Amino acid sequence: MTIRILLVDDHPIVRQGLRTLLEGREGWEIVGEASDGLEAVEKAQNLKPDVMVLDVTMPRMNGLEACRLLRRQSPHLEILFVTQHDSPQMMREALDVGARGYVVKSNAARDLLEAVEAVSQHRVFTALNGRNVASTN
Amino acid sequence: MKLRILLADDHEIVRRGLRALLEKREGWEICGEANDGREALEKAMQLKPDVVILDVGMPNLNGLDTTRQLLQMDPHFKIIVLTITDSDQVIREALDAGARGFVLKSDAARDLVSAVEALQSKRMFFTPRVNDLVLAGFLDKGHSISRNEAPKLPTLTAREREITQLLAEGNSSKEVASLLNLSTKTVETHRSNIMRKLSFHSIRDLVVYAIKNNLIQIEMAPAGVKEPTSPSAA
Repeated sequence: MTIRILLVDDHPIVRQGLRTLLEGREGWEIVGEASDGLEAVEKAQNLKPDVMVLDVTMPRMNGLEACRLLRRQSPHLEILFVTQHDSPQMMREALDVGARGYVVKSNAARDLLEAVEAVSQHRVFTALNGRNVASTN
Repeated sequence: MKLRILLADDHEIVRRGLRALLEKREGWEICGEANDGREALEKAMQLKPDVVILDVGMPNLNGLDTTRQLLQMDPHFKIIVLTITDSDQVIREALDAGARGFVLKSDAARDLVSAVEALQSKRMFFTPRVNDLVLAGFLDKGHSISRNEAPKLPTLTAREREITQLLAEGNSSKEVASLLNLSTKTVETHRSNIMRKLSFHSIRDLVVYAIKNNLIQIEMAPAGVKEPTSPSAA
């Protein structure tokens, strides 16, 4: 079955980079892109992705607020944060609002495939810069 | 003959995006990638690209100091800086450093191709804010565009700026020495000179200076999230 992915980041060049990384993978499909939290919430409703790759810092609505809303609106959607914030506090906050995964942007090229794989199977995946990876059921 | 472009950004995901954007263009080729300013210097000297695209907020050596050093080594390099902010200070520093193109990262997908085309045609490319600032400086004849700046702190040498960035990023004198192939004693002498020149007494002062002067950049957490801000390359 195809895993449907929605990419959310306010920088088109980052979305393009994420797309080149993910769309080569057989069985994964990028179903759409959004540039802020509000657009992400709207597109999640219309496109029904399985996994959302979500930035934290964005205009209009940040990723944490979007994640809170999405947890109520789309309970089956798995959310994976890809962010600049290499911080355990931010990671905790992300998991508290309902994300399943957390990857630091500087390591996205290394960690993202593994992270999407994990969260699409409803496993938690977190990796800060020191690569203290946690992947649990 | 193909136009050869070198990309330098500390985020591979951004380099992938830039590569995908620029490689669509027939006759353009990404001849190399670098993960920080120091690697960009090495690769630029080795690969002799026609255009160098440098992120401002890179670790080890930021994009503005890389621009200065590249142009010192070879004034023919054509450099575009990519930045997350078009604050007056960053614009001034980019112009002073000799960049011929200035593109906001958020607008890179829209502006970068035009910027490379401009440099290819021996023109410059700047965002509207840069043009406004330059025009304001021109209209305010007799005064430089930096007229409204706060009084400047004593100028650091290129080596002192490099060391300031590395110290502010959390490296010890020994680590800085290893990164720059210097002795620890030499780094400590530079460190003392920097602290004396700037009248600083703690590494905290140095970190604040590095942030204010764009040697390092920080990512702010969204409102409501308690996070200790730590320096990072944006």
